Amino acid sequence: MKRTVGGWALIVLGCAGALVGLAMAILLGPDGRRTTGPHPVPVEGSVLVTGPKALDWVDVRVDILAEVPASKPVFVGMASTVDVDDYVKGVQHVEISRFSTPWQPELRDVAGEQLTVRGAPTALDWWLAESAGLGGANLSVTLPDEPVSLAVVAIGSSNLSGLNITLAYGIKGGFYKGIGLLLVGAGAMLAGRMVLRGDHALEEGFAPDADDQVVYVLVDEDGVEHVLSEAEVEAGEFDVVTEEVVVVESAPDPSTDDGEAPDVSVLEGPDVSGQPDPVAFAGPGTVVEDVVVEDTGGQDAASAGGEEPSGGTEAIYVWIDDDGVEHELTEAELAELGDDFEIVDDPEDDR
Amino acid sequence: MMRRSGAAVLATSLIVGLTGCSVPHPRGEQTIDKVAATRDQVARLYEDYREIRNAATELLDPKPLSTVETGPVLAIDTGSFAVAAKLNRQGEVETGPIDVARVETPRFAKYPLWFFAVVRDAERGVQKLQVFERSTAVDPWLLTASPEALASTKIPGLRRDGTGHAVTVEPDDARGMTMSAQQAAEAYARVLTDPDTAAGAGIVEDAFIRQMRDIAETNASLDSVTFSQTWAAEPVRYVLRASDGGSLAFVTLLRKDQYIVPVDRKITWPAGSPQQALLEDGIQGSSGNLNYYHQIVIHLPGGTAKPRVIAQYGGVVQGEVGLDQAVDDATILGTESGDATAAE
Repeated sequence: MKRTVGGWALIVLGCAGALVGLAMAILLGPDGRRTTGPHPVPVEGSVLVTGPKALDWVDVRVDILAEVPASKPVFVGMASTVDVDDYVKGVQHVEISRFSTPWQPELRDVAGEQLTVRGAPTALDWWLAESAGLGGANLSVTLPDEPVSLAVVAIGSSNLSGLNITLAYGIKGGFYKGIGLLLVGAGAMLAGRMVLRGDHALEEGFAPDADDQVVYVLVDEDGVEHVLSEAEVEAGEFDVVTEEVVVVESAPDPSTDDGEAPDVSVLEGPDVSGQPDPVAFAGPGTVVEDVVVEDTGGQDAASAGGEEPSGGTEAIYVWIDDDGVEHELTEAELAELGDDFEIVDDPEDDR
Repeated sequence: MMRRSGAAVLATSLIVGLTGCSVPHPRGEQTIDKVAATRDQVARLYEDYREIRNAATELLDPKPLSTVETGPVLAIDTGSFAVAAKLNRQGEVETGPIDVARVETPRFAKYPLWFFAVVRDAERGVQKLQVFERSTAVDPWLLTASPEALASTKIPGLRRDGTGHAVTVEPDDARGMTMSAQQAAEAYARVLTDPDTAAGAGIVEDAFIRQMRDIAETNASLDSVTFSQTWAAEPVRYVLRASDGGSLAFVTLLRKDQYIVPVDRKITWPAGSPQQALLEDGIQGSSGNLNYYHQIVIHLPGGTAKPRVIAQYGGVVQGEVGLDQAVDDATILGTESGDATAAE
């Protein structure tokens, strides 16, 4: 159930993200903006400003090109609305009170006693961005999260008659952000599909405590475990059954003085049908008694190399840790361990 | 392992991709205002102020100061420069270092903009409570108030708005206090003019009042000389909300000393004093006026406690003999007070 919900959520989110990204990339184009103009603006005076509510978006990249004929000097700047309002106070000017894209400005004539501003705009220090030039000025700004106004001001005694505005707006790097969003969305959709299909690897990926290590253990007819390598598993014909492994508190290591114990893992989970119960899982540690049998005329593993068996009937105790590594113990060491370990005869060695 | 890493990278990409980008959005309803000045602007402003003040001190010429100071501060400093130049004593002009210890920049919806700064002068053991103002968008920042307090004086903490900026108070706003800043300024002027009104004025008889009263009593004790003193409060413009619910008000008081001296008497001032520089021949057989500006900072505590002055700075700005006229800002000369002496 969880998997289904998660999978669909990823698909829906991914789809939405991909669509938005695709739309961004198509609408904004490779330069990440939409351009409109040049548009003639009827300003006879020397100042054009935007009102407090005209620029009501944040984080939009705006490029403005103000062009005036006859190479008249012109200034374009953006500043706090408080500064711009005071700057044009008492000055005849045109205000863009509202603006809708792509180019629908609401213009308003504002009366004033003065024909031009009191100080040269280039001499003021409160512009957040500014540009000036002869015949035109170009400004590129990202709209901040505070009330700002744009101002186009004729410098000196000139005016703004014949003013043309070219406007571009978009997101800086918008095309690439759109493509990126498209790819991320597609990835999310793919991930959602994998979750829905129950892809094992992905499920593992979402399992918070999953162990990375894969250990192949052969449980023989007597319930004794044998650790196999991946190559051995591939070479032989085995039914591989996956079991979840949980690491539990380990028992003290009898072979170390400081009492630090190696990790001992206990298999849990569903019983393997058709397999005998492994008897070695009774306690926190497992000790396998490795019995060396007297020479019976046959050739056992130890004598295959021509060596004689070294012992008579003396038992050798072997402790197998969770990695399948065997540690030989003497009887005295075993006695010190107490009853924490269960002693199991190894039938293979009995043979 | 690799598959799980891939899943983690995918999840991270989603989070970063969706939250890391600055997504254009409507600004919504927002108050139209701005912070008076940024820290960088204040730092640059003080750099310029240091440079210009040092240049003026070097030349003993107060003219450059008009590009960084205005009002009573410029009047008092211009007076001190003029007197120092007249006496050819550069040491008369204050040249202490400008160590900005604290800056408080309120938000404003319209001009004028102003901010408050505390400047330490370790050499003189004082701290200056300064106000810079920009009256319009095309005007420069100018120092308009600079009262001084002892270095050990504790300046009250200020209340801040949600953006961490100091909060201003209207001069006639008395909420949470025994009186408004403007009322406090007028109370001080009234008590200084007529000590008999002190009882019902609602202010503390603090060190500033005692100091001014001592000077007035000394001048009034001149034999056969008729002395009168009047005080007036200018409109209060800079008030900040204190963290105790009260306020910190910057007040300018205009003091006018008038001497009427009989023909057989003459009053003079100590050599090297600003008054002596202004009235070289003293006053004899006529009346004479000395006008002063005093800038003070009044702490109006929250609740029922009475206001008191925590910082002050003043100086003589005009001196004339034989006339009885008000201070004209355009004719400013002289600085600091001095005791007059009468002689037959």
